Amino acid sequence: MADPYQILGVGREATQEEIRKAYRRLAKGNHPDLHPGDKGAEARFKEIAAAYDILGDEKKRARFDSGEIDASGAERQQPEREFYRQHAETGPGFKYERRGQESGPDDEDDVFSRIFGRRSAGMSARGSDVGYTMSVEFIEAVNGAKKRVTMADGKTLDIAIPAGLQDGQILRLRGQGRPGLGGGEPGDALVEVHVARHPIFHRDGNNIRSVLPLTPGEALAGAVVRVPTVSGPVQLRVPKGSNTGSILRLRGKGVTSPQGNGDHLVELRVVLPEHPDEDLVRSLTQWEAKHPYDPRKQQGEQS
Amino acid sequence: MTDGTIAEKELIDAVAHLDAQALRRWVDLGWVLPQRDGDNLGFDASDVARVRLICELHYELRIEEDSISVVLSLMDQLYETRCCLNALLSAVAAQPEHVRAGIAALVKAQG
Repeated sequence: MADPYQILGVGREATQEEIRKAYRRLAKGNHPDLHPGDKGAEARFKEIAAAYDILGDEKKRARFDSGEIDASGAERQQPEREFYRQHAETGPGFKYERRGQESGPDDEDDVFSRIFGRRSAGMSARGSDVGYTMSVEFIEAVNGAKKRVTMADGKTLDIAIPAGLQDGQILRLRGQGRPGLGGGEPGDALVEVHVARHPIFHRDGNNIRSVLPLTPGEALAGAVVRVPTVSGPVQLRVPKGSNTGSILRLRGKGVTSPQGNGDHLVELRVVLPEHPDEDLVRSLTQWEAKHPYDPRKQQGEQS
Repeated sequence: MTDGTIAEKELIDAVAHLDAQALRRWVDLGWVLPQRDGDNLGFDASDVARVRLICELHYELRIEEDSISVVLSLMDQLYETRCCLNALLSAVAAQPEHVRAGIAALVKAQG
């Protein structure tokens, strides 16, 4: 055994009162019943008690100081003792449980009722929810689809993607999570669905937007043009004299959802030929010279 | 007594510093919960260990009785929580590997 002075952290010339104070401080800090999670507390506490057994008694201390007894002499006098924590940790139902609280067993703070929704009787518990993510095509999200996915545990699931599903929406599949405990019902699978971008269509709430390129001739003279929509191509009549930025509405051709059906909004864009020839350039320049107009009139004062 | 308990007098003889007056006071305060048989009290092993602890806190570590009630209340809550935690840990340990892994991941995510 180590030097009892060192154990209590006092000098050889310490007074009895100083030794008592040091012992009380150390004993409180290491008492195994007050530190149930600390495995080393019991050994430290016994060492402290043994050191105090020598130094706390003036006569014994004098004999130790003179070398008459050594530090281990005191150890034999420490009977094997039972600490309270050996009883208190025997398990739920210990008689001193809840003595510290006013509340009854139905208290919602009770750990078991919080976890399992009721008192621990029978220890049944709902299985936990499991999260997954998956991706679907833009058209699948708009029109709805059936998807088969393989879960992390090898299980396959058929997932119904509802028409009008939004990017990031979470689908709850009842009972497809982890199995329950002791007859408890299984948890749910929570599937977060990401919607891929589409090269032509953009979602705007329940409306679909797309850009429709036109030749200058189609825009000026009007035309009937084939337009892709989420429910298949339709023939759209572009009125005579339409301009870039004009928006034509295809009613009911947007997203079908429980909140109602959206429209498809077609934005017109006049596109010049990729390689305009001399002819076109000349005739347009000549036309503009005769019929001058300023397309930037609106911006004139703001820029 | 025959049911594994000891009587008041035996307890007082067995525990250093303990006297009858203090013991009755602690029982009245609800710090110790012996079995009652008319006027006789029966202390089981956990009562004995608890009385020994209270004596130690009071007579050796010089904790006032007012403070001891706070210490005991916190201690009882701590032990109840630990029992609950141990029950939970045993339940978790009895689960299949993927369930334990799921719980471990969630606990970790909670920081």
